[in-house]
Amino acid sequence: MCELQKHGGPDDGGIYISENQQLVLGNRRLSLLDLTADGHMPMAYQNRFFITYNGEIYNYKAIKSELIVLGHYFSNQTDTEVILAAFAQWGPLAFNRLKGMFAFALYDQQENELYLVRDAAGIKPLYYASNTTGIIFASEVRAFQAAEVKPLNNESWPIYLLAYGHIPEPISTLKNVQSLPKGFYLKYELGTKSISLQSFAHYSYSNRIFDATEANQRVAQQLEMAVEQHLLADAPIGVFLSGGLDSGIIAALASKYKQTALNSLSIYFEEKEYSEKQYQDILINHLNCNAHQLLLNETEFNQSFPSILNDMDMPSCDGINTWFISKYAATNGLKAVLSGVGGDELFGGYPSFNRMGKAILLQHLPNFIKQAGKKSKFKRLSRMSYLQLDGLKGLYLFLRGNFTPNDIAQQLGAYENDVWNTLNDMPTLQEMPCLDDKNKASWVEFNMYMQNQLLRDSDVMSMIHGVEIRVPFLDDEVIRLANSIQPETKYAGALPKQFLIDAFWDDIPQAIWDRPKMGFSFPFAKWLSNSAYVKELMVNGNEQSNKNFQNFVNGKMHWSHMMSLVILNHRNAI
Amino acid sequence: MCRVAGKALHERAVVNNSKLLIKSMYDKQSDADENKYFPSEIFSGFGEAKISFIVSAVRAGIKADTVILSHINLLLVGWLIKKINPKVKLILFAHGIEIWGEIGFKKKQMLPCVDVFLPVSNYTADKIKSVHNVFSEKIEVLNNCLDPFMPLGKEFSDKAVVREKYGFKKEDIILFTLSRLSSKERYKGYDKVLEALVKVKQQFSNVKYLIAGSYDIEEKRYIDEMSKKLHLEDAVILSGFVPEEDLVAHFSMADIYIMPSMKEGFGIVFIEAMFYGLPVIAGNKDGSVDALRNGDLGILVDPLDVDAIEKSLLDLLSNIDTSAPNKQILMQYFSYTQYKRNLEGILS
Repeated sequence: MCELQKHGGPDDGGIYISENQQLVLGNRRLSLLDLTADGHMPMAYQNRFFITYNGEIYNYKAIKSELIVLGHYFSNQTDTEVILAAFAQWGPLAFNRLKGMFAFALYDQQENELYLVRDAAGIKPLYYASNTTGIIFASEVRAFQAAEVKPLNNESWPIYLLAYGHIPEPISTLKNVQSLPKGFYLKYELGTKSISLQSFAHYSYSNRIFDATEANQRVAQQLEMAVEQHLLADAPIGVFLSGGLDSGIIAALASKYKQTALNSLSIYFEEKEYSEKQYQDILINHLNCNAHQLLLNETEFNQSFPSILNDMDMPSCDGINTWFISKYAATNGLKAVLSGVGGDELFGGYPSFNRMGKAILLQHLPNFIKQAGKKSKFKRLSRMSYLQLDGLKGLYLFLRGNFTPNDIAQQLGAYENDVWNTLNDMPTLQEMPCLDDKNKASWVEFNMYMQNQLLRDSDVMSMIHGVEIRVPFLDDEVIRLANSIQPETKYAGALPKQFLIDAFWDDIPQAIWDRPKMGFSFPFAKWLSNSAYVKELMVNGNEQSNKNFQNFVNGKMHWSHMMSLVILNHRNAI
Repeated sequence: MCRVAGKALHERAVVNNSKLLIKSMYDKQSDADENKYFPSEIFSGFGEAKISFIVSAVRAGIKADTVILSHINLLLVGWLIKKINPKVKLILFAHGIEIWGEIGFKKKQMLPCVDVFLPVSNYTADKIKSVHNVFSEKIEVLNNCLDPFMPLGKEFSDKAVVREKYGFKKEDIILFTLSRLSSKERYKGYDKVLEALVKVKQQFSNVKYLIAGSYDIEEKRYIDEMSKKLHLEDAVILSGFVPEEDLVAHFSMADIYIMPSMKEGFGIVFIEAMFYGLPVIAGNKDGSVDALRNGDLGILVDPLDVDAIEKSLLDLLSNIDTSAPNKQILMQYFSYTQYKRNLEGILS
């Protein structure tokens, strides 16, 4: 299993087998703190606790000081050891004290208990499968191919892919393999083989802060502290600079703390309508970055596309951007990169924030009206049929769904009823009766789109190149602070994320926020239509597949929908 | 304990892919902000707007598979839900005194609509059967459990250090009772303990009795006078209200937890005391029996019998070093993990 994940940990590897032979922990290490062999994993503490771990604990130094006062001894400089010592002191109550991104397996030899733990924002992945004989876990789904009993395919995954554009948690492409919910730990008692899942942290919305000035100041302060902490590394680190507001803010804050010039990474194109180079240049000059700007052309895209499809782990119609920029980071010797993910979800950067109110009203309409437009060419009309699904799930798919259920049925040669049943079944989103409309938008974007697509894709597509992506907007204190600002203050203003613009008024040049949002898109429509590889995949498929390709080439299908179909064909061909 | 149940239900919903809504008649919506037990999004607090609460609870309840009532005072809501949608499974938590005696005509009429009673102890279960004529098939004992957020207390492992902080001596033997002291309800048994202390102190001169918990003036006067009369003034300390963050220290520095009370539905304080390693003496006439596992985990005494209390104290003090409660048994029955398993068994 470790071999299959070697790309994410090129620096070191290790295995630990428990004395009673009942447990094996494996690790591939990407060294960022304490680059010496002291950071080897799986790591032991007091010869009782053992850990294999992926992530960064940004407040590890503060926790370490506290533990030293309580009488603990440390033998190295890693945050890994701090997790072990914290657990030795506080047991499972230690998990809530860890601020950062993490997925780890911690074994208590004395009690013969295993803990699988995942951070509250779900930044790092953790998949597991359990049955009566035991439990298997890994950071990527592909690792399960090496399990003793190879897991079966989850036959419904194509439905989810076509509806969502990705596979939403807790589902995976393999039967019985699921994601550990974020902010949860799984306790496995090796003696009795019993499993118990418990939450140790969660995020909620409240209305504690009203005043805009106070809110701006506190967010600016907190985000600056987060960026400073996120820069902690013994290896070279940089910042993604897309040219947009969020990554611009991160870069601006980071440049305050770098002794040397800040490394920035950007991608631009010859195709002017997709290129954000002019905005990247403004920021690069403004911040005196050590800039790395990659001109990505169609040839390089075509060469890399088959690898991208193979590297994806779980299917997603997105993530390609991250693949390229992470590769570029790796070639420039960077081990970790800061990204602006999270800004949109916390501060209202998407159109869904304005559309949610109307969507909620529309959801009250009777079903026969909702599905009347399902065959319409207009996306908004056809997607209305999704509002037939209960609550937030229906709203999310109405706002962001790809293919509609009748289209999915046609594409897969399935019964539409079965498609509806599958989509209805999982995942289950709670009802949130007292939550403000815009906060509802924030919730679905944070817990669905960001979680299942942005974070998951970022993690896989960066780790495949041995690069770690860090997300300061998702710092624990930043999230809690943002969520406690009343919506009327947080989402106010003429422009989306006016709040952030105001909070960082002095740091960001006007040209950066006073511009149309482009969403880091690629000239996919053109490149995919020209690609011989894509053509071969689609044309060699069935009749439906052929038709799809023709529709796409004739401009009748959006590239992200095409991507999903390409992925389907690619996986079927394997 | 309701919050703990809320956490258990929330985690269950996440794991089982099901929906959970929590509605409270008395709490305000903002009361759930920043709470550690479950996300406030699934919670609706009506801040005593009783009609709105009832309407909202019934509307949501009739669409649910299962409705759990946390207290018998919410019976009207359950009854209305069952009237409209009889297929809903209606469950009622039963704690202690609120259901041991007569409940009034209206509640009596509505009680049969409950499908499953969850008493927190066998004592409460028996009362439900005998006083309200409910069949055993409808009753399932669900003992309370340790709060999952209770700290391990490793920082207080050195008793001497903690004692110094609170003004006790290293060689003191500290008896501890934690309870609100009210002149209107004197059923916690500390007055009986005082009486028993007279003879105990003759044999063990460095015994101290720490009674913690907020008190009203009359009760303090009563205890002070009693201590004086029994010549125990130096040995008895009333520390008043103890903030939550200091409770672990108090448990850690004590030697014995004693509270021969009469009206415990279950007695969570007993399992908490045992969690921090204290041998426990409790009354044998109420739900405390379950908390002490019928005497397996601690000593049960007749709470009205001063001689029995005295004897149990003397016995315990003579064997104090070997009397720590069996932590394994304690966790086997009263851990939060076990509570969740029990709850799962009842709900599925």
